[in-house]
Amino acid sequence: MAFDWTTFALEGINFLVLVWLLKRFFYRPVLAVIEARRAETAKTIADAEAVRGAAEGLKSEYQKRLADVDQERAAAKSRLDEEIAAGRVLRLAALEAELATERKRRETLEARERSEREAALERRAIGIAARFATRLLEKVAGPALDAKLADLALSDLDNQPAEKLEALRAALREAGGSIKVVSAYPLDAARQAAFTQSLGKLAGRTLAPEFSEDALLEAGVCVMAGSWVLMANLRDELNFFSETFDHGG
Amino acid sequence: MGKPELLELLAFHLGPLHIGATVLTTWLLMAVLTGLAGFGTRNLSVQTPSSLQTALEGAVLALQSAIADAAPGHAAQLLPFIGTLWLFIAAANLMGLAPGLRSPTGDLSLTVALALLVFVSVHWFGIRIDGLRAYLRHYLDPNPILLPFHLLGEITRTLALAVRLFGNMMSLEMAALLVLLVAGFLAPVPILMLHIVEALVQAYIFGMLALVYVAGSLQSHELSKRTD
Repeated sequence: MAFDWTTFALEGINFLVLVWLLKRFFYRPVLAVIEARRAETAKTIADAEAVRGAAEGLKSEYQKRLADVDQERAAAKSRLDEEIAAGRVLRLAALEAELATERKRRETLEARERSEREAALERRAIGIAARFATRLLEKVAGPALDAKLADLALSDLDNQPAEKLEALRAALREAGGSIKVVSAYPLDAARQAAFTQSLGKLAGRTLAPEFSEDALLEAGVCVMAGSWVLMANLRDELNFFSETFDHGG
Repeated sequence: MGKPELLELLAFHLGPLHIGATVLTTWLLMAVLTGLAGFGTRNLSVQTPSSLQTALEGAVLALQSAIADAAPGHAAQLLPFIGTLWLFIAAANLMGLAPGLRSPTGDLSLTVALALLVFVSVHWFGIRIDGLRAYLRHYLDPNPILLPFHLLGEITRTLALAVRLFGNMMSLEMAALLVLLVAGFLAPVPILMLHIVEALVQAYIFGMLALVYVAGSLQSHELSKRTD
């Protein structure tokens, strides 16, 4: 193909025109939109950085608040522990006092129960002893014992204290001629005479006591002058013995 | 010898000027490229770019990146010229694949015009950046004796630029035509496939050589500035 100057010149011009056209309609708009996107991306990044900065600030503030809250919580917990410890001490002291009171009351109660138990045991032992003594004396009761007890009663009549002697005299005066001497076995004449003499001596006049027998007395005598009674027999002594310990000894 | 051309029938004279098929093809190509550019950039959006917009942005960024690799700091300045060289030559080379059309780059008048524009642009950018006196002084470096060789190199590389593109594209079409005549209807298909590759490679080579020449002039000025 031959070289053509017209084509050469026109192609040069054509290319320059094409450069201008593409610069105007292609490169410039596309580069402009790329630049706009870059600017927007930079702005977005800057905004994101700002938001991140704000978020970092909020985060640090939140962490500071968290630390403050932790400190407050630790302080409150410490105060609460102290209050709990103080309350525990107070309650322990109150409990100790209550326990001491209860212990004292329990000891008192136990002492009373123990004394009651001991008293019951004592009464039971005395009852057993009384029953044993009754059975033993019932077995050994007889005229000989009866005579000894009669002698003992005669001796008591002579050795009564002054105030009792006065009461006995008053009773003998009130009783007049109704004076009874009851024995388990029949008294011999000498003892009957001794009772008559002793009672007459006390009354200051001659008396005639009525002598009788009562097997229930087991052994001994019982002298009755009005409301005054002198008991010197096994039945009454054993009853007196038992009743005395039944009523607290 | 050449394949039948549709636009040859439309050739006309404008006074003493002959408007041939090459010029008409170039105009058609300019219309197509400008129309595609207008269509592709009619609804550009920053927020929601379309697939076409994304592709166009990718192409422009790729061109800019390639230029920036060779001439750092001058990508925005060189993009319209070098980018248009790549796009125009690639489209012009591929135009030969269309039935009834011929690659305008198979015309020596066009390739010489492009090579001359590259030659002029090398000096234009060099003088524009550092001034006429400082630019011309680099021809005397490192020794004034080398001035004739510098001038010879400028002429030969421009001539080589023009002839390389012309020769490759013309020979490629010639080879395809010969194979068609000798072997039959479908036989030149592999040659046409090669045509695609060759068209893109030649466009890349022409544009890259132009970029290297321009970047060389820019860097030689920067070097001389550092030396001073």
